[in-house]
Amino acid sequence: MMPESLQTIEAAARPTSLGARLLNLFVSPALVFDEVTVAPPRAVNWLVPTLLVGLSGLAVLGSTTSPEQTAAAIQQLLDAGTITQDQAASLTLHWQNVSGLALCLGAFIGTFWSAFVLWFIGHVFLKCRFGFIKALEVAGLTATILVLGTVVTGLLVAALGDASARPALSLLLFKLAPDSPIRVAFGVLDCFHLWTTGVLTVGLSRLTGVSLKEAAFWVFGYWVGVRITLILLA
Amino acid sequence: MNRALLYLWLALLRRKALKFGYSLRRPTSLLGFLAVVSLLGFLFYFRHEKIMGELVRRENLIGGALVMLCGSLFKGFLQRGLVCEPADIEFLFTSPFTQRQIILYRLLPNYLFAVLQSLVFIGLFASHFQHPVLTALCLALFQIACFHLATAAAIFGGSIPQETHYRLRWMMLGVSFVIGAMYLRMAWGFRIVPAFCSSPAVQFLFYPAVTVPDSVNAIDVHRWALGFALTGTIPVPQLWHSTLYFGGFALAAAASLWLLLQFKTSIFEASLGTTSRVAENRRRLKQGRTTTTESPRAPHSFGLPRSVLFRGVGAILWKNLVAVRRCKNEMWVALFFVLTYTGFLTALQFIYYHLAKKAGGAPLYEARAFSSGIAAFLAMLAFFLQRIFPFDFRRDGHHLLSFRTLPATPLALTLAEIAVPTTLCLAAQACGVIPLIIFGKFDWPTLVFIVLGYPAISLALNSVWNLHYLMAAAKHAEGQASSSAVGMVMVVALSFLVFYPAGWTTVKVANHFIGDQTLAFTLAAAAGLLVQYSVDLLLLLAMARLFQRVEIARES
Repeated sequence: MMPESLQTIEAAARPTSLGARLLNLFVSPALVFDEVTVAPPRAVNWLVPTLLVGLSGLAVLGSTTSPEQTAAAIQQLLDAGTITQDQAASLTLHWQNVSGLALCLGAFIGTFWSAFVLWFIGHVFLKCRFGFIKALEVAGLTATILVLGTVVTGLLVAALGDASARPALSLLLFKLAPDSPIRVAFGVLDCFHLWTTGVLTVGLSRLTGVSLKEAAFWVFGYWVGVRITLILLA
Repeated sequence: MNRALLYLWLALLRRKALKFGYSLRRPTSLLGFLAVVSLLGFLFYFRHEKIMGELVRRENLIGGALVMLCGSLFKGFLQRGLVCEPADIEFLFTSPFTQRQIILYRLLPNYLFAVLQSLVFIGLFASHFQHPVLTALCLALFQIACFHLATAAAIFGGSIPQETHYRLRWMMLGVSFVIGAMYLRMAWGFRIVPAFCSSPAVQFLFYPAVTVPDSVNAIDVHRWALGFALTGTIPVPQLWHSTLYFGGFALAAAASLWLLLQFKTSIFEASLGTTSRVAENRRRLKQGRTTTTESPRAPHSFGLPRSVLFRGVGAILWKNLVAVRRCKNEMWVALFFVLTYTGFLTALQFIYYHLAKKAGGAPLYEARAFSSGIAAFLAMLAFFLQRIFPFDFRRDGHHLLSFRTLPATPLALTLAEIAVPTTLCLAAQACGVIPLIIFGKFDWPTLVFIVLGYPAISLALNSVWNLHYLMAAAKHAEGQASSSAVGMVMVVALSFLVFYPAGWTTVKVANHFIGDQTLAFTLAAAAGLLVQYSVDLLLLLAMARLFQRVEIARES
């Protein structure tokens, strides 16, 4: 009879299907990234999750867009004289289309950007050699959590009837106005953002072979530290 | 605090005070001390002014406190351990003092500094505070707290591994930057990071840790899109034009690259020669020599003329003239430059002359002012030309030692060296001076001064640059570094300063005889010329002296 540890290694070495990888990412990202690291480059690893992000985003876009907030933002631009009346009408008319297009484009650009950040951290700060395509696969697979996050956000909005409801600490303060500074500040601590960052940490750790602590320093430094700094300073 | 250590500190303090008193006998130390005292006295004299109150505004005090705090922490952390005197290591560390006692002993000078700083602060800013004594006390205590933090950071920094220290150092720097930026934003409303960085659209930089609907619903994204397609119909012809242009140039770039890659010739041999040649040229330029040119045949020899002028030290003159003849390319460039420069000035004079003639003649003072301006511009020509005509010491770097063996005095040799570039500069200036004399309304004394003034200017400028070259050569011979960019700037400044004594004398003499215009001009110009020629003579003597120093340095 085979010992349990050997069985685990064999299971880890065996290539899994894309669906299994996407699901395993939620429960055991380290195993998924171990497989990705040693396997030859596969475009589906980043292409499919990115498409899923686009689709899920399009599905919940309508419910998460508040017409009142949109109208208020356009009115603000009109009052400031930045846009004309015709442009304002055009903005209102095409708002959903532009948002959808930006979402699809943003998903692809974002995947490449996050892969570049991982690759840059690995090469420059951690002095490790790995291909950009591997970083792309890690970033793409991690976006699966974003798919879940988007779906949960959509469900939350539907349940609470508030387009600005998010799975973040701001949920505790949802009686406050959406543009309240306290609510905005609490909104930064989104549980899906933290989860995604944690998974990216695992991915970087597996790609570079550095300890989890070391990878967490750089990944949280960028995805949380720099983000909070930008919000505070800007 | 151990009493023995307290006594030691007091004894050392007294000795330092005495040493400081003795050091004031040195002029530089005294000047430094007096400068600080003067500054404090100046501030004390104006202590009730409003601007002094502005210095201790709440925002400024907070900023200062932040600088002190972050600076102390960072400085201490960089030290990696307490900095002690070598004697302390030998005496204190081996004595039966506890660690706390030694730390307190090291902090005593800092405490004294904090108290003195507070006293100065209260002296300067007391009138701008409601409770000055309390403020000064708080400042002293805050400063002491900063010293404590610095010491703690130093001790902590010394106890961690190098790698961790390095990382923490950068983290501290980053945190200090964020604190500083937040302070600037909150206290002064100055944003280092632009406002759009907080836009939801920018959150895409942190993909996949983003809320996608928030990012795409950002108004910035939609405003950006507005410029593309939502303003109306897409200008199709323009789009086609742009696409055609882009495609054409892209095709050209791709085709040229394809053509380039089709070459089967080996690039390595040719590159080797080119690289060596470029490296050699760089080396020669660094040494102050001209770049080499590939000449298919050896230059002609020229026999020494029988003229008396080229006998003895005059042979140097002949050598430099031969060098001029061989540098045909440089001479053509110089000629083109000179003709362009003087042609432009002559054209200006011609236009002015004809316009004045049409208008029935310009007032005499105006015509003379215009001509004087042109004359000044012609004098400036020498500044540019002296670099184009380096047929003097600057081209003889390798022969300076051989020249010293010639049967000629250093001054005579210096004069022979400097003669050719000065004459060439004068010849170039003559292209502009002759039209100036024709069109300009000068009286005879002015003409004489112009004719005598230009040689003085050319001689001075060429002397300054040769002097610089010889000084650099002397330094190089002594094994010191060659002249830096700062040295070059100094030489440029000196090129102007050598005319200051003559200018100053001219102005002073002219003011002295202000009553009589003719006398004032004639005497002032004569005095100025005299001073300038004296300066030139001094420069020549200095050059001759340096020429000798080069040899001494080489021999030693």
